[in-house]
Amino acid sequence: MIWAIAAGLLGLLALSIPVGIVLFLLGFGVDAFFSPFPLIRGLGNLVWSTSNNATLIAIPFFVLLGEILVRSGIAARTYAALDRWVSWMPGGLVHANVATATMFSATSGSSVATAATVATVAMPQAEKLGYDPRLFSGAIAAGGTLGIMIPPSINLIVYGFLTQTSIPQLFLAGLIPGVALALGFMAITALICLVRPELGGTRRTFPLAEMSRALLHLIPIVLLFTVIIGTIYRGWATPTEAAAVGVAGAIVIAALFGGVSLTMFAESLLGTIKITSMIMLVVIGASFLNFTLASAGLGRELQALLDGMGLSPTGLILVVVVIYIVLGFFIETLSLMVVTIPIIVPLVVAQGFDPIWFGILMIVLIEMALITPPVGLNLYVVQGARKTGRMGEVMVGAIPYVIAMLIMVALLIVFPAIALYLPSVLSEG
Amino acid sequence: MEERLLETVRRLNRRIALLTGAGLMACAAIVLADIVLRQVGASFGGTDEISGYVMAIATSWGMAFTLLELGHVRIDILRRKAGPRGRALVDLFAMLVLTGTVTLIAYKCWPVLARSLENSSRANTPLETPLAWVQTPWFAGWIWFAAMAWLTFVAAAMLVMKGRLTEADEAIGCFGEEDATP
Repeated sequence: MIWAIAAGLLGLLALSIPVGIVLFLLGFGVDAFFSPFPLIRGLGNLVWSTSNNATLIAIPFFVLLGEILVRSGIAARTYAALDRWVSWMPGGLVHANVATATMFSATSGSSVATAATVATVAMPQAEKLGYDPRLFSGAIAAGGTLGIMIPPSINLIVYGFLTQTSIPQLFLAGLIPGVALALGFMAITALICLVRPELGGTRRTFPLAEMSRALLHLIPIVLLFTVIIGTIYRGWATPTEAAAVGVAGAIVIAALFGGVSLTMFAESLLGTIKITSMIMLVVIGASFLNFTLASAGLGRELQALLDGMGLSPTGLILVVVVIYIVLGFFIETLSLMVVTIPIIVPLVVAQGFDPIWFGILMIVLIEMALITPPVGLNLYVVQGARKTGRMGEVMVGAIPYVIAMLIMVALLIVFPAIALYLPSVLSEG
Repeated sequence: MEERLLETVRRLNRRIALLTGAGLMACAAIVLADIVLRQVGASFGGTDEISGYVMAIATSWGMAFTLLELGHVRIDILRRKAGPRGRALVDLFAMLVLTGTVTLIAYKCWPVLARSLENSSRANTPLETPLAWVQTPWFAGWIWFAAMAWLTFVAAAMLVMKGRLTEADEAIGCFGEEDATP
């Protein structure tokens, strides 16, 4: 059954049938060939119970929040402010790219939105100040991936939903690895620019007065992050409710510091509906496939397969990592996550691994998929925003950051505490 | 003709999407009100339930809009290598598969509503919502999605047969990956 499903999955995806529909088709296939009793009768109920779900409404809320921030010009001001603070380092403005992406990750649940935001505001500066286009754009593509790691994260919500894992715990677990990755990106940028200073453009320092003034422009975004995360951990709101708080916060901030207009608002709503429905078709499809796989006894078959291979738990994790890296070249992120969760997570958890830890590991691997060609959405987003030069330049520029991510994967495997420390400390208290 | 049809359908679904978005905003407002009320010791005690219904209905009614905006993700790694004619055929085939699947889903959603109507079922929750009230708009959304998928498929098929591949690509092609995924 496993091989039939894997072959069916890859074949149907290659025919460029929409990913959500492929998952339904596989579910029908499992039902027809492997299930002892007809499962399709449960389809209607499953579609209802999957979408009638208060947790998932966080998805449109977080998407809307990001849309509002981008369209109201808060992004551009944040970038300018961070530039004042980080451009003295070797690599100059490249650090501002990473730092802005990190800040936006902390309010947006989406990587592509983060990359698009930063690319739009940063690209005009690159040529003006003489930066190497490869490193400069690669840093944006990589920085943008932090959007799904640093809470709030839509991908972590989907992971938590499909694996029945606590979403607040997942959010906590993502914080340290996310910040560590951001610092890693900056370290690797500085290193490259020390060796090859011509890649880094001009280093600039700013008078202290200007730097302190710039801090003012960081207030909105810091405030928003504090409010979202604060309400969750004070126990005032669930992650879903905090998302609603975030939407309200974003509207207030946009009204105070940026521009709100009816058109901007309508565009934000349309973007939200488009992204939400896309995600939900995939999520409902995955739930249906999950349901058929479980009913057809996938768990037993996987266990048997695994026992046959005689892998140690660490061996299993290494195999899983390689699978994700390879699939990540070809499959887009959310789809990659959703199609593999039903098969891989039960396997990993059965070997005694913590599902929260694995969620974070999976997110790093999926972040990598975002910036590895030929299918790496962030690469396309950044290329789309810069409008000149070749795609290949962004791909080359992203390589150092892929290396940083690989190091992070290794660190997470050797020191699981990087992810699990915060959840363990903060949930007991 | 086909293009006029597609244009009308697109405009209509844009309006529906705006309405759906407004529904989500209203839901956010209710959630906020509940958080505040809880701090002063009161609560509606039903926001989770309402959020769930809003999500189910918003999901089903947003699907057709996303379809027309080419928002449902597809992997185009092989498709990209085909010529314009090949690409049009791949798109038509994918569209037909989607349409068939969605029709089946909509058809299978009916028994859920039918049962609620038959038994006048109420949700097992504080609000005791009559399920038919919320399942009817939810079911209608899936029917709408299926109907829009058929319309789009037929219009695109006619465009392909007339050899107007560019227009067909605009209707059922593969683009907008970049702004469609988190």
